[in-house]
Amino acid sequence: MKKYVIALIVLLAIFGCEKDDICIEANTPNLIIRFYDAANPTQLKQVTNMYVWALNKDSIYQNVALDSIVIPLDINANTTTYFISSDLGEDEIELNYTKKDIFVSRSCGYKTIFENLQVANNTVNWINSISINNSTIEDESKAHLHIYH
Amino acid sequence: MNRKLIYIFITSFFISLNIQAQENDTLKVKEKYGLRLGIDLSKPINALLDKNISGFEIQGDFRVYKNYYIAAELGYDDKTTDEDYLNFTTQGSYIKVGVNYNAYKNWKGMNNEVFVGVRYGLGFFSQTLNSYTPNVSGTYFIPATTEPNTKFENLTAQWAEFIFGIKVETLKNFYLGASVSLKSIINTKEPENFKNLYIPGFNRVYLNNTGVGFNYTLSYLIPLFKK
Repeated sequence: MKKYVIALIVLLAIFGCEKDDICIEANTPNLIIRFYDAANPTQLKQVTNMYVWALNKDSIYQNVALDSIVIPLDINANTTTYFISSDLGEDEIELNYTKKDIFVSRSCGYKTIFENLQVANNTVNWINSISINNSTIEDESKAHLHIYH
Repeated sequence: MNRKLIYIFITSFFISLNIQAQENDTLKVKEKYGLRLGIDLSKPINALLDKNISGFEIQGDFRVYKNYYIAAELGYDDKTTDEDYLNFTTQGSYIKVGVNYNAYKNWKGMNNEVFVGVRYGLGFFSQTLNSYTPNVSGTYFIPATTEPNTKFENLTAQWAEFIFGIKVETLKNFYLGASVSLKSIINTKEPENFKNLYIPGFNRVYLNNTGVGFNYTLSYLIPLFKK
């Protein structure tokens, strides 16, 4: 009888661990923007004194000097408008996209990926041009948008 | 000295013979064979405690040979599971068939069991994705919860189970039992862009497609014959 009880406890201990209770997979990806030199388009170039914020929102970046930024897209809409300012002024970028929800796991639930990314509208005060490097935002492994300035 | 040892040897020989004769003398108690039918008590208790759960299970076993029983369970589950980022309802029925082996040596006249068993399980069910909230890190844009209420129908699963349990005859022909089962999915038809996270009869699907079950049963033996 004793050995049955021990076997039972061991089996319960093995099956008691709930590994899938903690979400460790990647969730909804962010938009990655890299800044390049307009005069030398293969060369990264920092934006100095940069502020980044979405329409009617607080700043995500404040007074930083970076050559790339990671920003979220609005998950409840098919468009997000961002403002990026530098020493040289302020520019507005309106991004359009479609969304797709993909099942990840029990603990992570669904993540949203963004497809057909387009720059619907943008101003050119300090920005020279914008190009889309990857129109599908399904992970954060590389830049989706290149900004030349 | 020598004579004394021989004397002990001879008497002990006769005593042992005598014991053997007694053993041969005991009358053979005939053991009951029959159909045992029961219900899983844990299901109605869980349903009372948790309004998101309802279900029932009936069980039956039949002693075919000495310590071997063929056994089957038939049941229905309706369960709503609430996770951090999603909520879904599973509805469906299942059947399990297999064999139990009673490893317990009863005293004469007793009919208790410590058993191990194997089952093949088959479930037919649907999953309804009631709501989910896309998983976003950070709080810059807070995602809204969507309620698609998508129903995935005609889903199936097959699995294997290993069972360990006890059955005790508490009143004449009435048995109380408890068992633990470990399960592993053989194959399953998954819903599109979702997963069978709960399967009727299998319960929660853990990582690596494993599962665990606990049963408390009340059953009645319909004695058919003795041998």
